[in-house]
Amino acid sequence: MDTIVRIPAALRTLTGGADEVKGTGGTVGEVIADLDARHPGLKDRLIDEKGVRRFINIYVGEEDVRFTGGLGTELKSGDQISIIPAIAGG
Amino acid sequence: MRGSARVLVIGIGGLGCPAAIALARAGIGTLGIADDDVVDVSNLHRQILFDDADVGSPKVPAAARALARLAPDVLVEPHLTRLLPGNAVALVSAYDLVVEGSDNFATKFLAADACAIAKRPIVHAAAVRWHGTALAVGSAGGPCYRCLFEDVPLEDVPNCAEAGVVGPMVGVVGAAQADLALSMLAGEDVLGELFTFDGKSLAARRRRISRRSTCLLCGDGARIANIEPRRYVEGVCSVEPRDIAQDPSRAVSY
Repeated sequence: MDTIVRIPAALRTLTGGADEVKGTGGTVGEVIADLDARHPGLKDRLIDEKGVRRFINIYVGEEDVRFTGGLGTELKSGDQISIIPAIAGG
Repeated sequence: MRGSARVLVIGIGGLGCPAAIALARAGIGTLGIADDDVVDVSNLHRQILFDDADVGSPKVPAAARALARLAPDVLVEPHLTRLLPGNAVALVSAYDLVVEGSDNFATKFLAADACAIAKRPIVHAAAVRWHGTALAVGSAGGPCYRCLFEDVPLEDVPNCAEAGVVGPMVGVVGAAQADLALSMLAGEDVLGELFTFDGKSLAARRRRISRRSTCLLCGDGARIANIEPRRYVEGVCSVEPRDIAQDPSRAVSY
């Protein structure tokens, strides 16, 4: 199952400038691993040994995955993943 | 006619300038502006209170002069200082609401903590390249900035490798900040939503955020009840962490 993943501006250098990519997998973690295979380095920017990096927020639809099972959050058809990093600039 | 609200703008830069203009024009009673920076020519494309004649001058007095021309009825209180562990709670306590547009994580978390301790509402915002966010936090309870971003990053964060921000982005996000601030002052419920703006697609989205039970600031058994300087140590790309309480220069500059 393919899931659309919205890529924040800060990470688009890893996706060739694409703001949306498609990943395959039944969970958030599987989709990220799939994306990393085609966009090397993306997984490391999002995940560390403890799970999702603390300055990264991942949403499935409108739900923060912190509250839905983290990287094990199961995906269903039509789900979209958004990545929102902490930013500090202005 | 001047209103009675007192609003503090932390950082009179790309976000603070449009936010301050909008708040002043809306008739805010008193506008405090806090910054220790000097106007640079690289600021002018987005820090819209300043012009060429201000280059080299401290930002706060220059902004105060411009605001006095734009909104003579607003009382501007200048604070030629950045937000620091030693002054944060006292500074935010003197105002009804805080608008935070700082350019580094240490100050953002310091502002969040100080406002929670002083029970002051705060509107956070940030913008890097073509991406911006805004978040309104109430004066009591969560969700708060730490519910979302947890703690000061100590490792290489995505924005460390990027530089700069597209000028119009801060215009949009700064205006959104002012809008959220005015809504809060009017008693409207705008809490618990993260607004994101994408400058390339011009898409604006809102996502509900929830209070995190393990949040250090507003969670169950929350542990932050006072300002400890060691908590605001920021990692910089490939550089040793720097304690902003000891080094007043910026940890990350854009």
